[in-house]
Amino acid sequence: MKEVHELNLPEDVRYTKDHEWAKLTGDTIKIGISDYAQDQMGDIVFVEMPDVGDTFEEGDEFGTLESVKAVSELYIPVGGEVVAINEELEDTPELLNQDPYGGWIVEIKPKDTQEIEQLFDRDAYLGVLKDE
Amino acid sequence: MNKEIKTTLLHDWHVENGANMAAFGAYDMPLWYPLGVKGEHLAVIKSAGLFDTSHMAVITVQGEDARTLLQKYFSKDLEQCLGLKKTCLVEGRSVYGLFLSQEGHVLDDSIVSQVTDSLYMLVVNAGMGGPIATHLAEHAGEMQVEITDLTDRVGKVDIQGPDSAKILGKLLKEPSTVFEKFPYFSFKGWFEDGVRGVETVELSDGTPILLSRTGYTGEFGFEIFMAPDKLISLWEGLLKAGKEYSIEPCGLAARDSLRAGAVLPLSHQDVGDWPFAETPWPFALAERDEKGQFSKEFFGAEALSSLVAVEYTLPFAGYDPRKMVVSDKSYVADATGTKVGTILTCATDMAIGRVDESIVSTATSVESGKPEDFVPRGLSCGFVKVNRQFMPGDIVVLTDGKRKIKVEIRQDIRPDRTARRPMREML
Repeated sequence: MKEVHELNLPEDVRYTKDHEWAKLTGDTIKIGISDYAQDQMGDIVFVEMPDVGDTFEEGDEFGTLESVKAVSELYIPVGGEVVAINEELEDTPELLNQDPYGGWIVEIKPKDTQEIEQLFDRDAYLGVLKDE
Repeated sequence: MNKEIKTTLLHDWHVENGANMAAFGAYDMPLWYPLGVKGEHLAVIKSAGLFDTSHMAVITVQGEDARTLLQKYFSKDLEQCLGLKKTCLVEGRSVYGLFLSQEGHVLDDSIVSQVTDSLYMLVVNAGMGGPIATHLAEHAGEMQVEITDLTDRVGKVDIQGPDSAKILGKLLKEPSTVFEKFPYFSFKGWFEDGVRGVETVELSDGTPILLSRTGYTGEFGFEIFMAPDKLISLWEGLLKAGKEYSIEPCGLAARDSLRAGAVLPLSHQDVGDWPFAETPWPFALAERDEKGQFSKEFFGAEALSSLVAVEYTLPFAGYDPRKMVVSDKSYVADATGTKVGTILTCATDMAIGRVDESIVSTATSVESGKPEDFVPRGLSCGFVKVNRQFMPGDIVVLTDGKRKIKVEIRQDIRPDRTARRPMREML
């Protein structure tokens, strides 16, 4: 298992206490799971995703991740409407292990792009991880 | 209560090699190594995997009344247990069964091996060496028998997978002699220097081992018992010898998914402190005649004989890798949504997938129906305990109230397992 200092935690995404990341590009936000999350879960074998057009409030469950070890719920860090899902994950869920920041799960059009500012930056997230 | 976390002698090795560690019973054990569970699971199906199983407990039962004691407290009839003809247990052979309470509940499951007429080795689960040894000692009364709990005093590793014999053979002093006449559920040697009358099995460096053709994966392989101070060198020796076969160290997660696919129970989870009634493992008990009478009397038998089954433990397999976490909230529902039972085990066997309606394994041959381009996506599988009988092919739903996973009641799960393959095919 990775030590905190071994984790890949890019500066250009925001993080949540549930170990998801969110990245604003233009007026949409891509959402995935952090390197810490994928390392903790082990091999991810199935990703249950919402449908395009589904809308969620911040904190709603929008899907589940199945690893060989467990099932984990995914919570949306920022409310909005799903505009795309990463269909590649249907056949290759291990992308989330191999490249957690390339392997996004859903793309949403947020109600309020400013909401992302409420999420942790890298340093704050590091603080969360050190307390785990 | 003392909740001390125990470790095996390989603990440092696991940590240094990047294992994801977690508590299993009282022991801090590897769940998986950096390769990940899927790779480990597949290694055992395709080549070989190595498991640290030193957390399991060994008990010896010795003395002229050893067999009499086991006949009374072990669920299997040692006089009628081997092969199709149900011959008696003899030296060098092992048998799987249960230790039951008076009420017919499972205290633990065990493999009992007859070393000599008056020496039997019992392998029980982690933490169960003390309780089972005490249980037997309390009932031994005037019997001439010595019961020794060897918990943490025997090193144990399991090498499992089709290349196991090829790898292990490289480390044995006389591999061809050892592998000759070595059927499933037999063993050779002893893990200390000499027990009279027992043929020795030695590694090239002279280390005595007990080599048993058993395991907990459903695949061909061995359980190896040795003195604890030989554990690390044998572990490293096997990994080195197995490199050309792509052997992988495997953690408990792969062990769990492999055994679930092989329809093997986990003690205290799939069998435990409830009556051992309708299960996929009737072979764990003494033979029964048409009237349901056991071939011998044993502790717990009376309760089982008079039991009217109200619960049925059944294997299942899903249609994709999705699992339902076993929790207070999760349950089994029938097709109409009515709650019919609980989930005991739910794992993902990563070596299998569905082709049309049947289950195919990575190990299935193309002639037997495996598509040339088969890539296993994995299927959830395990055991449910339900309040009425379902037949293979029936559909039930695993749910936590939110997610619903449709699964099929099965007789068997992962096809084309190798555990019982003749030795000559594996060398």
